[in-house]
Amino acid sequence: MHTTSLMMTSSLITMLLLLAYPVFTTLNPDPRGPDWSLSQVKTAVKLTFFVSLLPLFLFLNEGAEMIVTNWTWMNTLTFDINISFKFDHYSIIFTPIALYVTWSILEFASWYMHSDPYMNRFFKYLLIFLIAMIILVTANNMFQLFIGWEGVGIMSFLLIGWWYGRADANTAALQAVLYNRVGDIGLIFAMAWMATNLNSWEMQQMFTTAKNQDLTFPLLGLILAATGKSAQFGLHPWLPSAMEGPTPVSALLHSSTMVVAGIFLLVRMSPLLENNQTALTLCLCLGALTTLFTATCALTQNDIKKIVAFSTSSQLGLMMVTIGLNQPQLAFLHICTHAFFKAMLFLCSGSIIHSLNDEQDIRKMGGMHHLTPFTSSCLTIGSLALTGTPFLAGFFSKDAIIEALNTSHLNAWALALTLLATSFTAIYSLRVVFFVSMGHPRFNTLSPINENNPAVLNPIKRLAWGSIIAGLLITSNMTPLKTPIMTMPPLLKLAALTVTILGLLLALELASLTNKQFKTTPNLAPHHFSNMLGFFPAVIHRTLPKLNLTLGQTIATQIIDLTWLEKTGPKALTSLNMPLITTTSNAQQGMIKTYLSFFLLMLALTTLLFIL
Amino acid sequence: MGAHLVRRYVTETETEPDPKKKSQFDPEYGFAERKEREMVATQEQMNLAQLPLEQRDYCAQYLLKLMKCKRDNWPNFLACKHERHDWDYCEHQDYVMRMKEYERERRLQLRKKRIEAQAEAA
Repeated sequence: MHTTSLMMTSSLITMLLLLAYPVFTTLNPDPRGPDWSLSQVKTAVKLTFFVSLLPLFLFLNEGAEMIVTNWTWMNTLTFDINISFKFDHYSIIFTPIALYVTWSILEFASWYMHSDPYMNRFFKYLLIFLIAMIILVTANNMFQLFIGWEGVGIMSFLLIGWWYGRADANTAALQAVLYNRVGDIGLIFAMAWMATNLNSWEMQQMFTTAKNQDLTFPLLGLILAATGKSAQFGLHPWLPSAMEGPTPVSALLHSSTMVVAGIFLLVRMSPLLENNQTALTLCLCLGALTTLFTATCALTQNDIKKIVAFSTSSQLGLMMVTIGLNQPQLAFLHICTHAFFKAMLFLCSGSIIHSLNDEQDIRKMGGMHHLTPFTSSCLTIGSLALTGTPFLAGFFSKDAIIEALNTSHLNAWALALTLLATSFTAIYSLRVVFFVSMGHPRFNTLSPINENNPAVLNPIKRLAWGSIIAGLLITSNMTPLKTPIMTMPPLLKLAALTVTILGLLLALELASLTNKQFKTTPNLAPHHFSNMLGFFPAVIHRTLPKLNLTLGQTIATQIIDLTWLEKTGPKALTSLNMPLITTTSNAQQGMIKTYLSFFLLMLALTTLLFIL
Repeated sequence: MGAHLVRRYVTETETEPDPKKKSQFDPEYGFAERKEREMVATQEQMNLAQLPLEQRDYCAQYLLKLMKCKRDNWPNFLACKHERHDWDYCEHQDYVMRMKEYERERRLQLRKKRIEAQAEAA
């Protein structure tokens, strides 16, 4: 066998074995030792990361992509389901990034969850999540992708509800499952359409046989799936609620890996999307609406994790906009760069939260730059990368997206919303940095603030390096598959930078107002709109269950009782018989007129019968 | 910056050319000698490189050179600046050409309208 394909196949098998081994060791009934999580799980993920670099380098050097079909699982005469892995440039680049981020998060979690009695179980859940995510990303058929998709959904539920004694955590986990389920309806519909019309779930066969068909319905299903999983507008409330889970969960699932699964699905299916203008326009408008709405909600939140969660949702909206621009490679680039700085923002938040004795409200933080200089510097670097500061990681992807949006002939409204959302990104990022790092401390002085634990510092350092150089590395190593338009007026070229700087200046002005309090600030309607998340959860989470419960109540008490008692049961007997009884007894009241009428009637009938 | 949109939808709705429609005028009109652009990269070369359809334009030869340079120079990912610039410059010139064709079409339409108005006035 050719050396390259041999090396890639063997790295795949090694990766899966390395990741699965610690899970299998937990099948042993004896409990694992206290250092199992650190020595086994983290080491396994670290080794897998280095092994996954081999296919990456082979791909970058030779352009080698592979499809490995391992096992014919359920095959009929006309329909095949195999276990097959696709190592194309999306999965080859994403897998090392996911493993790098997971490695850092596991190391951080060994410090963060140190006091938790079930830390081993926590690490096991994270590992199973990682395996499911890699199955999703490397899937070559829809069935395997669905296995990964559901796997990450279930692990998300288990991990969000980690502290299950807390009612809010249970609600949030249930919310995540329900919203994801609505999205899954779309995915299953799309899979059913493809099975019946394209006769296959393998990607290659789907892409070739779908050439001349009208794909609007399955694409709408896929977009619904992405809306559910990637928290687009309409199915977005689960993401900020998911912050009830521990910070490593938020960092891994709800910023870098799981929530991008929806966008990744659309990137995978981009050959189907690119010819359907309806689907592309829907993606564009949905993404633009999401990015602006969630950025607006982030402006007035006070919980640091909620701000970062809304920031994630906003960036996911931006990725959806890129899909709508028919630029899947740029969306994928943003997925990769976003993973680094968003995970780092979460880890810095987690470090600050733990240092301040589990305080999450930014109004009760402050002055962390003097107390935890390294963490707040990395928070600043992450925020700068998020806003698209030139030459950090976010710049290469975000600026490219906004340039593509500016030079396209598409919806100007989507462009306006996206630029506004970009400036809001700068505003809430500055708000976080201002309230957390700058100024004077607004908390008690008894918290154990220190930065001397390498389990905290090293992951953040690694992710900081990623946030700085990942954009440059990825764009330098990959030739774009769609020619970027490099010629545009200077104002368009600088549009993203200009709105970001404007947002920063505005935020600085607003933040400095908090130090000079002339009067009490009035409660304004826009503040309420933003703080209550657009009233979306308040309205929808009450209306829909109420409608369902009222329907259930009506059916159970009224309709069923009505049916069995009145329409088919005893009352029905009554209502059927009563008219007969009334008529009969009315005719037999002893009234002469009635008897005479009957007599005449009978006489007439008999006469008629004789005549006829 | 949005002048073409204002012209198209507000001020000069009849004469503004539609990019999706063919040109109404002869491409050689007004030019002494004009030859058609030729592809430098051959079909076979582009097939071997597996270029996507959108990238098979008149600048494909520079892209092929860039891809070859990247493949030869890896892991030095900073190496192919010159080839990248060549490709970008070719695409830029292609963009400028498209803009010039648009402007030419627009001016010919305006000229036609002026001539018709003069004929009517006379």
